[in-house]
Amino acid sequence: MKRLIAAVCGVVLAAAAPVASGQVSGGDAKRGETLYAACAACHTLDPGQNQLGPHLKGIVGRKAAAVDDYTYSGPMKRAEITWTAETLDAFLADPQAVVAGTKMPFAGMPEAKDRADLIAYLALTSQP
Amino acid sequence: MARKLPRADIVIVGFGWTGGILARELAPTGLKIVALERGGPRSTEEDFAVPVIRDELRFDRRHDLMADTATDTCTVRNSLAETALPMRRLGSFLPGEGVGGAGVHWNGTTWRWSDRDLRIRSLYRERYGAKYIPADMPLRDWGVTSAELEPYYEKFEYVAGVSGKAGNLKTGKVPGGNPFEDVRAKDYPLPPLTHGHGPQLFAEAATKLGYHPFPRPGANASRPYTNPDGMHLGQCQYCGFCERFGCESNAKGSPHITVIPVALKHPNVELRTHAWVQKVLLDSTRKRATGVAYVDVETGEELEQPADVVLLCAYQLGNVHLMLLSGIGKPYDPKTGKGVIGANYCYQGGGGQLMFFEGKSFNPFIATGSAGVTIDDFHSNWDFDRGPHGFVGGSTVQCGGSGGRPIGYRPTPPGTPLWGSDWKRATAKGYQSALSVSFFTSVTPNRGNYLDLDPTYTNAFGQPLLRMTFDFHENERKMMAHGASLCAEIGKAMNPTILAPNRPRNSWSVVPYQSTHNTGGAIMGTDPSQTAVNTWQQSWDVPNVFSVGASSFPHNSAYNPTGPLAALAYRTAEAIRDRYLKHPGLLG
Repeated sequence: MKRLIAAVCGVVLAAAAPVASGQVSGGDAKRGETLYAACAACHTLDPGQNQLGPHLKGIVGRKAAAVDDYTYSGPMKRAEITWTAETLDAFLADPQAVVAGTKMPFAGMPEAKDRADLIAYLALTSQP
Repeated sequence: MARKLPRADIVIVGFGWTGGILARELAPTGLKIVALERGGPRSTEEDFAVPVIRDELRFDRRHDLMADTATDTCTVRNSLAETALPMRRLGSFLPGEGVGGAGVHWNGTTWRWSDRDLRIRSLYRERYGAKYIPADMPLRDWGVTSAELEPYYEKFEYVAGVSGKAGNLKTGKVPGGNPFEDVRAKDYPLPPLTHGHGPQLFAEAATKLGYHPFPRPGANASRPYTNPDGMHLGQCQYCGFCERFGCESNAKGSPHITVIPVALKHPNVELRTHAWVQKVLLDSTRKRATGVAYVDVETGEELEQPADVVLLCAYQLGNVHLMLLSGIGKPYDPKTGKGVIGANYCYQGGGGQLMFFEGKSFNPFIATGSAGVTIDDFHSNWDFDRGPHGFVGGSTVQCGGSGGRPIGYRPTPPGTPLWGSDWKRATAKGYQSALSVSFFTSVTPNRGNYLDLDPTYTNAFGQPLLRMTFDFHENERKMMAHGASLCAEIGKAMNPTILAPNRPRNSWSVVPYQSTHNTGGAIMGTDPSQTAVNTWQQSWDVPNVFSVGASSFPHNSAYNPTGPLAALAYRTAEAIRDRYLKHPGLLG
């Protein structure tokens, strides 16, 4: 099962964007699901439901500030980022460094492995 | 003439922690529950998101989340001989308003009050004799023990996501936790918060002096957390905007992100905001409530909400005010000592020791409500002999600030001018090098400290204001002198460059902020002639009215009040659900 998820992730990530490093493509989506707890207080995976943050359904491959009925910060609206494994990795490592003025109150996820696993999970849940 | 609304089974007055807990616990009965909140709706998305919430001027200095004194306040005096005047600006304490109440802008500190509080009268009488308790101190046991409250304490810790370290598990004492807490079945749901260099120095000094430091327990989530209701809490980001602010990261256990949304998922629970309850309505026997009268403060319309059960869940002062305005229970008379409503009002004592450490940087902007280190060696520790000190109660001592924010946090060494270039230089330097050790003390009831209706001043609705008559008495003065000496002792052992003079407070003033921990005025117990409510917080006089919250506390502790406030609310909810609804009447 784990191998299957990894394989599926690889495909999705490859389809969404060129994968920057082997570490990101090799993310463990199952572990990523538990790490998603850090996001769940503010984000859902339900496209109908924005909370403190916008919903994350389809985040991988989505343009920044793309959810219509969510009020983003000005800097996020102007960011012109497409969320790929690579850009998400940089953003999750230090959100303010990538989008200075984002209203996401999260200091960042310092471990590269954690980020890769979380992105693998987000990629999996981003499938239709 | 008030418009009469369709009957509800239960009406809840005030929608903070206690109202939210009762609504959450009673919602599954399917009964029609109407919650009336005098303030507005609140959500993290609409009200506490970054960057809006980081407005120190609006929320800290101007108290945007707190009660508006232009609508209702209390009058204040220190003694019977004085004329009370209205508190026109919040100072000493900060009552909440709006959905979530003070539970949105609290620090999160959550204690389990031990039997040293709950059995205070019995314990002091047994150990020191009846004469040890002064004649003017109506000290009372609570009528519940910490063993009875234990499962409810635990329930709240798991709902609110409390971070901490148990010190006294059933399986044995645990090094690094509070060794003086009463026995508990489970550890906290989350590990302790991280604390900075200052609390570390405090812990080292306290250990060297033979004390037992441990991380302060608090509902600031040290990890992402999902509570038993499936509500998600984020991880605390140590942003320093905790006390007086709503949490921007959903990391502070608060009613609006835990119990309230769970209750409101039930279609039989209805919340009405801007609904200012003025009175509990009684029938002609005065022994039964028929509902409440309230005003929609947005339209000015007067309404009547009939209900079979009335749950008073306002702030402590609000509950007592409503009891007095409604004529529930006999008002307390300080001259005769007779009557109960308004009696045993207690504030909280405390103080601190300011220090400066040349060359050190404490980074006070990295902070959260409860992170820090505490000692309980002089409060729940019954081996601490009060005899030589001659007081009833004790102190907790702690180190750990809740936020070094730019306007409010300006520590300067003694002798610094209050303005000008020298002040600017000192404040720039002091910001990083200052550190405080602080203490809280118990306050025991005194016959002269009480709440009643003011004879002169009225609120925006023409109702008499609540009048507060309070001062610290000899017992508190002794405790505060002792607490201040403990801070000085530990402070000195931390080896600061400057140890500021540390003068204990002798008299209470409403002006500087001290603590929002008001207690008593409608106290619980087992004797109807001495208490307002029974141990299920049910009015002895009007048994379909329950007055829930810190107003039930017979005295105040050196701990923060939310732990027992929530535990008692859970206990009351269970008694209503399992017993009262089947057989309405006085619970026995």
